[in-house]
Amino acid sequence: MVISPVHYIVAPLLAAFAIALLSKIYKNAARIVPGIVLFYNIVISLVLMPQVLEKGMISEVIAGWEAPWGINLVLTPFSGFLTTAVSVIGFAIWLYGYKFKVRLQGGEVKYYEILQMMMIAGSLGVIITGDLFNMFVFIEIVGITAYSLTAFYRGRDGAEASFKYLLIGSLASIFLLMGILIIYTQTGSLNMAQIAERMPMVPQTMKVTALIFFLIALGIEAEMFPMNGWAPDAYSQAPSPTSAVFAAVVSVAGVYALIRVTFTVFDVEGVHQYLIVMGFVTMLVAEISAVAQVNLKRMLAYSSLGQMGLVLIAFGIGSHLAVFGAIFLMLNHAVIKALLFMSGSYFIYNSDDKRLIGLNGIHKRLPFVSAIFSIAAFAIIGFPPFSGFWSKFYILIAAGDENMIFLIIGILMVTIIELVYYLRTVARIYFYKDEVEHTEHKPSINAIVAMSFLTLFIIVIGIYPNLITGYLHQAADSLLDKASYIQHILK
Amino acid sequence: MMEFSEIFFKYKDLITVAVYGTAIMLIIIGLYGVLLKKHLVKIAIGLTIMDSGINLLFVAVGYIQNGTAPIFSPGHEGDAIRMVDPVPQALVLTAIVIGFAVTALALSLIIRLYKHHHTANIDQINSLKW
Amino acid sequence: MLKKYIIFALIAILGFYLASTFKEIPFGANRLGDLNDPETVSAFYLQKSPEDLHVANAITAIVVNFRGFDTLGEVTVLFLAVTGLTSILYRKEEEEDEEERLSIPSSSLVRTGAKILFPLILVLGMYVFIHGHLTPGGGFQGGAIIATGFLLMLITYKTFFTNHNVMTWLESIAGLGFVIAGLYGLIVYGSFLQNTAWTGNLNDLLSGGLIPLIYIFIGLKVGTELTSVLDILLNIKPRKK
Repeated sequence: MVISPVHYIVAPLLAAFAIALLSKIYKNAARIVPGIVLFYNIVISLVLMPQVLEKGMISEVIAGWEAPWGINLVLTPFSGFLTTAVSVIGFAIWLYGYKFKVRLQGGEVKYYEILQMMMIAGSLGVIITGDLFNMFVFIEIVGITAYSLTAFYRGRDGAEASFKYLLIGSLASIFLLMGILIIYTQTGSLNMAQIAERMPMVPQTMKVTALIFFLIALGIEAEMFPMNGWAPDAYSQAPSPTSAVFAAVVSVAGVYALIRVTFTVFDVEGVHQYLIVMGFVTMLVAEISAVAQVNLKRMLAYSSLGQMGLVLIAFGIGSHLAVFGAIFLMLNHAVIKALLFMSGSYFIYNSDDKRLIGLNGIHKRLPFVSAIFSIAAFAIIGFPPFSGFWSKFYILIAAGDENMIFLIIGILMVTIIELVYYLRTVARIYFYKDEVEHTEHKPSINAIVAMSFLTLFIIVIGIYPNLITGYLHQAADSLLDKASYIQHILK
Repeated sequence: MMEFSEIFFKYKDLITVAVYGTAIMLIIIGLYGVLLKKHLVKIAIGLTIMDSGINLLFVAVGYIQNGTAPIFSPGHEGDAIRMVDPVPQALVLTAIVIGFAVTALALSLIIRLYKHHHTANIDQINSLKW
Repeated sequence: MLKKYIIFALIAILGFYLASTFKEIPFGANRLGDLNDPETVSAFYLQKSPEDLHVANAITAIVVNFRGFDTLGEVTVLFLAVTGLTSILYRKEEEEDEEERLSIPSSSLVRTGAKILFPLILVLGMYVFIHGHLTPGGGFQGGAIIATGFLLMLITYKTFFTNHNVMTWLESIAGLGFVIAGLYGLIVYGSFLQNTAWTGNLNDLLSGGLIPLIYIFIGLKVGTELTSVLDILLNIKPRKK
């Protein structure tokens, strides 16, 4: 049996159905099986990516009916790059959460592991699908697992955050269905490539209406302002590995869906300006809100929203260099944010006061974790020699190429704001006096390995960015090349 | 008694408004319920109504004049020309089940919220400040 | 107060926008195009369903075969909903004694009627999903009918319990069956969920290759899952042995 893109989905599904049976035989099966599945996903990525880079694109048909009559799964350099990143980060987060002591307030471990694995599988499905309605189904899979995981702990405000998330997510589903309906009546097809081919024949008003519905729906998923009110609550109330997965995987899938629909399926003018404007507003509002937070996880959540805003700005600029920078930033943000949530959680476990005051002087008790947190904080602000520097640098150059001085000033201002609240946190960790009560909770070996691996990535790519710039250039090319996407799938 | 196709032809505009209008009204009423009602269960009901509205819209769009059900039962094997559009109906099957799953989750969250706060009024449960 | 009016205005705008958009989409217009040279997906499905797949119910062919991946996603959504429901309403052993099942006193008419109707409803449900490819209906509809039967019994009798172990086993095996049927297509024909070559004759019970088999799995799975959801929401504790 040859490895093909459908394995990304089938392997987690088989495991999810089987865990219920396996855990009756072997108690620990629920913890180990997701690790095997996520590792298999990495193997799939490593096998398929060379083929994708060589042939330009892999399109696999499901049920034997060729596109556009059936559903097809598409791996372009762009989507393949993202699935590789998601698989690797997903595996690292599983490793980090392996000995996750589900505390007194939680449920059984089995449910947690199944839900988290399926959240990653659903996001992978959103990225590789080539069919509009299939994208909707996978977005719902991600949504259902996310709602359940947000409410996992009792006693805290998890249920409230989850309910808010559920309401906004359902609104997104309804708008998405309306957009799909309008497109279906106008083009008679549900396949992304065929819709892109027939789009010039659709009357302009219909196109704009459908695009607005899609932007609202996918904007909610991609955490665009003003529809990202659910994100800070959800990120802060979920268990720590889940917050990491939200920041690294779910937001990547949401932004990918938005970009794929905007760039490839539709051909309306003026979308790019809209992305720049909304991305700018998102970034500004989120970063300013982050300064005012007293809870570490909420601060990190707002910072995540700000980075996503910057990604949208970069995609909006639209030139090759800008898209290159945007994809680079998506990758960096996924790794760094996951790392920040992972290390930040240990700070929270170790102090009884959950606010930022609890971090005072914590470097004495957790030296390793403090160092990792500081490195990640510097990386995301954009200090060299860490990888975050390069992505911001390229985006600024791209903005300068288009003479968008206003943007450059805005991004630099926001960087200064980030400096304020991140350096403030790092200063607390290292230079303040330790005053609060604390409980012991040292990181276990698997967490240390996972965090070190991601830190290594940040440092190595920071010093030698050319290791991955080749892949990134190809990914950027494939996104901007609409004609070859259509041609390759429809033959 | 006039045939259905004649009635349809004569009152075409009215029937269009009736069918599409009902579906859109359902969506609007559901949206009103979700955004403006205070009781948690009413919000969940609004969600259900919105789902019904969009599903109805889907199936309504799939209708073809003088069409019959897309089933090739014995004696009707050559009827493909007179059948309605089967694709929206298949999509609605999926959408109904997904809507049900989300509603079930919403109700379970309401149960937990009620047990914790002893009230089902969304204004009083707002403990998560910005 | 002001917020209320703003939201009212927004909803009204959305309503008018939707109405004006759908005015352009004529009701009842034939969008299928030429059936012999299909340009739209619907025309293609209507043409291929009786000829290649020998399935009488075109919608079944679409749901299970042409767009079977969506159905796989949907079955997954149901499974994840039950898992999520269990994890949200999870209670530890000590706290279970405070909860009691909601019960409505039922008259003798209802009790007798429920006992008679229950097996009939189950048989109807199974008929619907076994014949999904010949008559209107299918796995989801049949599963919903089965769950309605269970709901009738659960509401009428305070002491009617469903066996959790049997439910879990049925659910997992049905799900695995669906995925393995798809894998069969992948291994033998190179494409996930592809149908076999033995498709029988149109309108036979044994037509359509893998399609009736998959629909039976889906029917069982949906039936057990919907019943589990009802079970959990009615706060039923498993009998302590």
